[in-house]
Amino acid sequence: MWRLNKVRHKAGGHANTLEELRLRRREKERALRQARRDRQLVSKRLLLNEDEEQDQMEITPGEQDVVSLFHTLQHSGTDKEAYLRTLSKALRNPSAQLTFIKLENSMHLLVGLLTSSDARCRLQAVRCLHELSHSPHTSMASACLPATPYLLTYLSGQSTKFTELCLYTLGNICPDSEVVKERLLAQGIIPALASCIQNQRHNLAVVEAAGFTLFQLLQTKDAVQKVIPMVLASSLPSQLLSVLTPDPEFGLAPAIECAWCLHSLTSSTVDHRELLAQGALTQCSSLLVSLGGAVVDGNTDQGVELLVCPLLRCVGNLLSSCPVEALSSQLADVHLVAALCELVFAFLHTFPALARETAWVLNNLTAHSTELCSALLTFNLAPRLMELLPFSQGINTMVLRVLANVAHKKKEFCFRLAELGLLSALAATLKMANQDMVTLSLEVLFMMIVSSPQIAEQFVRQGNSGTFPVTRSNTRTFNIK
Amino acid sequence: MMLQSDVVQFMAVGGGQAHNSNKEEGFSEATEQQEEMRRRQSEEGNPFTFSPQLLRLHRDHELFEDGDVLRHMYLQDLFISEAEEQPAPSVSEFACHISGCRVVFSTLDEYEHHYNSLHRHVCCSCRRSLPSARLLDIHIQEWHDSLFTILAQKQDMYLCLVEGCGEKFRTSQERKDHLIRVHKYPPDFRFDKNRKEKGTRETRREQRTDTAMEAADDVCRSEGVCEVMCSVQSNQLEQEDSMEAHASSEEAARIEDFSASAQTSEAGTEALKLKYTYRVPKTVCFGQGSVRGFRGQRGRRK
Repeated sequence: MWRLNKVRHKAGGHANTLEELRLRRREKERALRQARRDRQLVSKRLLLNEDEEQDQMEITPGEQDVVSLFHTLQHSGTDKEAYLRTLSKALRNPSAQLTFIKLENSMHLLVGLLTSSDARCRLQAVRCLHELSHSPHTSMASACLPATPYLLTYLSGQSTKFTELCLYTLGNICPDSEVVKERLLAQGIIPALASCIQNQRHNLAVVEAAGFTLFQLLQTKDAVQKVIPMVLASSLPSQLLSVLTPDPEFGLAPAIECAWCLHSLTSSTVDHRELLAQGALTQCSSLLVSLGGAVVDGNTDQGVELLVCPLLRCVGNLLSSCPVEALSSQLADVHLVAALCELVFAFLHTFPALARETAWVLNNLTAHSTELCSALLTFNLAPRLMELLPFSQGINTMVLRVLANVAHKKKEFCFRLAELGLLSALAATLKMANQDMVTLSLEVLFMMIVSSPQIAEQFVRQGNSGTFPVTRSNTRTFNIK
Repeated sequence: MMLQSDVVQFMAVGGGQAHNSNKEEGFSEATEQQEEMRRRQSEEGNPFTFSPQLLRLHRDHELFEDGDVLRHMYLQDLFISEAEEQPAPSVSEFACHISGCRVVFSTLDEYEHHYNSLHRHVCCSCRRSLPSARLLDIHIQEWHDSLFTILAQKQDMYLCLVEGCGEKFRTSQERKDHLIRVHKYPPDFRFDKNRKEKGTRETRREQRTDTAMEAADDVCRSEGVCEVMCSVQSNQLEQEDSMEAHASSEEAARIEDFSASAQTSEAGTEALKLKYTYRVPKTVCFGQGSVRGFRGQRGRRK
């Protein structure tokens, strides 16, 4: 199970100072951003031994050991487990990894041990494979091919640690090589994952690992054509949805993995009918409502953002496929509007990017639904939204869009918005540097003014005429008689 | 005219939305339907095209970048939930939208002060900016009103600049003397420059880096109130001197930038085109600042 790293001081050992840690993180973040821009964003996971601390990964130099260990294993009869254990530690080292797979029959040996009658040997063998799978060298993936049918077979087993290791190993290797991915698909990884989750539903660690593996599969190239149709045809979508429960006992980590899988599915495909039919929108939105409430109350575990983020994205994209008539049946709770509004604020200073994504979902909610726009007004959310208009980087433009959606529906809504102070808010946004804000503000202003002469009067009376500058782009449009 | 259009927008993959250089809005072009609507509307003369839109975001969309990075930081055991490491939300800047003025402000108050000081009372004949409506009125009268010129030959027309004084004088020099003697004004009061002081103005202009505002040389034919700066930008430069030290280097850079690029004909001609479109009443103004003036002034350039 994954524990979240908290910033902590090391007692001893590798005493990275806080500053070093921060630096490392920032570098890593930069690398991740670049990788994403290059469409190469893939991560691996390493499941540590029980005795290892997460942030104290030791890499022992063990190249020479690897060779001798290999020979020993080939010939020794007893005590293979101990040697395997040592080997797995040695294989943490990237150059040792390369050395090992270059040795003739090394993989053959490991696979043999993987299927050994000694369960402890199996465990250590899979641990060795796991270390190899985590290698930065992409050649490792193909090297592990001989083991895959066994790893898949073992997914239906019952021992937690072993299954976890199999799953993470598979998850690590599938994005590395097209050949590996094709092989895994042919060998039935999708049905295997589906039954694994189904049978081990009670086992959080295994569900989390399976979710991760599926996520990795969905990140592969051509996943849209090759993987996703198979996934949608399987029972996986409903499995994933069933994991999304607000049950606090269940723990965040499995839900996080499953939610990210769902996001991969919804954001890569256009046709969401299947998912909608299985209640994806309902499930995700009601979980958002309960999480939203918990976030606002400050009543959540660390890392809840990691779950809220993919849920938001699922809801946002599912909404774009959901016909407005079906909206009220799909959305269990109209309070979603209020929950989302509060989430924007909750994230505004901690994760502004998530605040922006939340605002996007609000846009999709209010775009075509008069009912939801009305709810927005009823719950008195408009003034709250107006408070967000100063914040840039996409937040204010999206929020203004939401307000525009509301104004667009009915004259009465315009009137209400005017009462709530939208006109003075617009007087400020019209002067912003961001051109999109200005354009959007003009659009909203136009809708408001056209809806009623009183609003037009109010605007003029506010004294805005004096300080209302006109940009080059809009002078041709402004011709109020 | 509430338009009902059910348009679903498909987002282009990734951040390839060309015309937005910043990260703000990266949504792709509208669908055909919307394009059609825009065309129709522009034909009808209505440029307002907003209609609510469902926005679908593809997996690789740039809006998702930060969240994805968060996700992978978590996968690689580098995620930190604490706020200290996350970037703070940034606040929108305000920008002066007057054509040719590119200054940016961090608060609305700053912007409004700038606007009120420099763009509010602008003479649309010569684009000079006056500090108050009253001085603008006086300027227009004395500089651009032929009737005034004629009357001034026979009567005392030059009004004392101090509100409430009410005295009138035959020449601008006499008024100036009055201002100095009675009201203790400095002899070089900026808002009472003689219109005929072309030479001074020219040298002054040479000193400035800006040449953007080609305030008419030939507009001034009579004596009268001549106010400050020929251009918005010069104003800004002067103000910068007196401003506190924390005037951002960004702002200065922008101003310099502006002076470098200011001579684009686009800016020039468009600004000119806009100026003379309307004769607008005092209270309502949607022109360049609160530009007021007469149509068809003599001495109009181009």
